[in-house]
Amino acid sequence: MNSKDFIKLNNDMREKLSEENKEIYEDMLVYIRLSGNKSEQQTEEVLFELLEHLLEAQKEGKSARDVFGNDFKKYCDDLIAEIPGEERSFALVFGGYIVLYFLGILSTFYGLGNFLIHQFFDVGSSDYTFSIGSGITVVILDLLILSGFIIFVLRWLKNSTFKVKKPNKWVEFLRLWLISMIFIGATVGSPIIMPSFGSEITIPVLSFAIVGIIFFIISFILNKKFRITK
Amino acid sequence: MSLRSQLLKGVLEGCILSIINRQSTYGYELSVRLQEFGLSDVSEGSIYPILLRLQKEKLIEGTMQKSDLGPKRKYYHLTEDGQHALREFMEQWENIKLPVDNILNKGGETD
Repeated sequence: MNSKDFIKLNNDMREKLSEENKEIYEDMLVYIRLSGNKSEQQTEEVLFELLEHLLEAQKEGKSARDVFGNDFKKYCDDLIAEIPGEERSFALVFGGYIVLYFLGILSTFYGLGNFLIHQFFDVGSSDYTFSIGSGITVVILDLLILSGFIIFVLRWLKNSTFKVKKPNKWVEFLRLWLISMIFIGATVGSPIIMPSFGSEITIPVLSFAIVGIIFFIISFILNKKFRITK
Repeated sequence: MSLRSQLLKGVLEGCILSIINRQSTYGYELSVRLQEFGLSDVSEGSIYPILLRLQKEKLIEGTMQKSDLGPKRKYYHLTEDGQHALREFMEQWENIKLPVDNILNKGGETD
């Protein structure tokens, strides 16, 4: 069974947990899944084992505390320490997938958007002139901003586990909204404030969309082949 | 880590290897067996970090199998290295068991 099959099975079986056990188990699940560069296969296998164990224990009237002890975080840390790391080749494929997908979205929308605005409203130009040096710098900068954003959100999710007092939903929403706005603003703003350097070239703006779609197709094939998200 | 828990960990590893060697088994059943043998001090969940470590050291392997009734389960069996490690543990245990018992019973007095 592939890790994605375990995830599906886990989602179904988790519903059989009691309210209290489910809350604790799901915190453990989030905490362990976000433990960083660990083998997804091994992680999902052991999460599935823990779930089965908890379900059996539940039948005998035992609670999560009886099974995992009183310090859930400590228990999870002990477990995580023994999970082997992800294979480097898969980590590379995964990173490549995210980069292609992200640049695909950005490039397609940018190209198509500018092209359509020019066609229908006669605003802007159907050609785009940029300098190679600053173009490459902007792409690298946007990828750095993206990785910063991903790392922040993962940390934030991990920190939200095992909280005795649940934080206010609205405050949490506002915080995440603000961070997302900063992320989008920085991504869109970086080409605007970037000074141009290096030799200039002019290409039809629609070619951005074509490059974007090619990136999409490659990321789609990668996903199919390596079962990255499904 | 304290010496006490280190000792317990090593012994627990040996016990787990021995139980799996007798019959391939899954996590929950393994914890029930350990309790049946009287190791009730060991919290049930503590077998999973050990199972992960034994897999990492390639002493045991898990395969998903459908149980008679109920869902699929991960059944563990010993590898060749695992059987070797079990024999080693049993030898070491034999060597240490009697002297330690004697020392504890007689408070260190020799006849």
